Amino acid sequence: MRAAAWSVMAFATVALSAEPVDVDLKERQLELLRAEVASELQLQAAGLLDELVYGWTQEPPFTVDTPVVLTGVTVPVSLGTGLEAYLENHLASLVTKNPKSRVQLVHCPACSAWVVRSGPVGTVVTRGFDDPQALAQGGLAPGGKHALFLDFEAEGASLVLRARLTTLDPSLRIVSARTLTTTTSTPALLRSGERLVSAQEARKEYLEALGGRGLFLVPVRFGVRAYATGTNSNVGNVPFLWLSTGLEAAFSQARAWTASINAGFSWLPQSHVAVMAQGRISRLLSGSSTSLTWPDLYGFFGAGVMFGQGRSMLAFRNTNPTIDDIINTNTNNEPRATLGLFSLGLELRVKNRISLIAFLETLPAIEITDNIGTYVNLLIRFQSFGVEVSFCF
Amino acid sequence: MRGLRALVGLLGLSGCVLDPRFLADPVVFSNRAERRSLDCTRLSQLEAFERYPGQVPAPQARTLASEDTTVLTCAPRYFGIDERPARDEAILSTLREQVGALADQARALHGREAVWHVDAFYPSLPVAQKIAVAARTTLAERGLTVSNRVPTLAAGDVAVLATLPPAEVYAAACRRSFETRVLEGNDVFLGVMIVDARETILHGGVCSEGAWRWLP
Repeated sequence: MRAAAWSVMAFATVALSAEPVDVDLKERQLELLRAEVASELQLQAAGLLDELVYGWTQEPPFTVDTPVVLTGVTVPVSLGTGLEAYLENHLASLVTKNPKSRVQLVHCPACSAWVVRSGPVGTVVTRGFDDPQALAQGGLAPGGKHALFLDFEAEGASLVLRARLTTLDPSLRIVSARTLTTTTSTPALLRSGERLVSAQEARKEYLEALGGRGLFLVPVRFGVRAYATGTNSNVGNVPFLWLSTGLEAAFSQARAWTASINAGFSWLPQSHVAVMAQGRISRLLSGSSTSLTWPDLYGFFGAGVMFGQGRSMLAFRNTNPTIDDIINTNTNNEPRATLGLFSLGLELRVKNRISLIAFLETLPAIEITDNIGTYVNLLIRFQSFGVEVSFCF
Repeated sequence: MRGLRALVGLLGLSGCVLDPRFLADPVVFSNRAERRSLDCTRLSQLEAFERYPGQVPAPQARTLASEDTTVLTCAPRYFGIDERPARDEAILSTLREQVGALADQARALHGREAVWHVDAFYPSLPVAQKIAVAARTTLAERGLTVSNRVPTLAAGDVAVLATLPPAEVYAAACRRSFETRVLEGNDVFLGVMIVDARETILHGGVCSEGAWRWLP
């Protein structure tokens, strides 16, 4: 698609310039555009062949394994033979991998060769598969008793496959015929040749792959929050290690918007015990829907409340800790703090399974900077910086 | 009108559904010619949700029951309007519909014991083959006995037929086919053709027992 954009721009440049139009350049750009169309068309054509062979595996056209001569593939008018060769190979691959189809492709060079036969009514020039009698008279009996004709045509925005199996005798009777078409502009299903499934199942798999395993996920996050060193201290604050889990909901299969709530727990011997409840709203920044092949980048905003108990919580007070405060921690009267917090961050997520999260947090209740300083001041002071690794289930 | 309102509603909710090929194109909807290259189809919201996951929201139960929401899906045609000859493009784009209608009409004229032979008459040989293939496949899918064999008259007959006016040539060819036993018994021949070089509507005729009959 990028090539197409450049092609269009190149056309515009050529059109605006006073120089005569470079015919070679124009032809090259046309070839680029044509190649782009063909590359998408071949996926759709391969998908139609997948559907054809899948249909044969479900309802075989023959009761026993039957040799069939592939007489050739015709592609949409004005497209070339490269696509024909690709589709022939794809069909051969599918039939080989799916013996339940009961179709065994056999080679018959004479069938596609031009045959000339003279008789009382005149001389007839035809392809071998159109005149089996001529082949037989020439001692060129085909290896199979049936022939397969495949015809692709682009009809508007749809690609249509017409497949028919005929007998290779003078009657050339059609024993099986199917017309398959792509639905308008639906992406190719890209099924696996080894395990063909129906179009509905393939689309369901695609949906599941796109949406993970549903609209809801259970993330388990391991993280650490560091707090900026206060202006009244040369000793850094103790970082808090957090283990949290919760529930994440997506608003649609695209997972462009998600919301989560989670509860966290932090404990450090001789330092603190803390719990936290937090909610986040995330927005996908790297596209309109999650990618199946690339990591997704989310931006998020969160709000929460933290309650902690222990010596480390002294730093979250708006007063400088006194020696009495520190001594009192040993008398079963540990300092406690309850704080609200707001966070802003980025999350890099791979296929809704694993993610890496970095965020800044502001603690609005902390009014002084003596105990906890500021990492970033963007009109709002962000006193905390954290990173998390998240596993989604 | 109901569908139009639904479309506007969906546009506000999730945007018009377009093929990604077109969404990524920097010149999307930039001029009338490109708009003309779009092929648009109206779908129910449920169907659109299944085909375009992530782009169309899932219908709510109330919407599902009433089925009054439609989504307009547009995709660029595989071939631009100027890429193939205009008459070929017009016929190929409507091949399924035109051939399907002719096959239904032809099937109504004869019983299942008939053996059908099909050929197409069109100035461009590749397009004529496409038309004939489409007609054969459609008849076979309708459950009729169809042969892939194309009846061929002797060279002398063809030379004489070439001198006849177009209105008479098919009837004469039909009569001659049975006289020379190219066709016989319960063989029925379906011819698909254009009558005037400027038209894009396919016509059909059936030859049976030496009599030619145009399909309505």
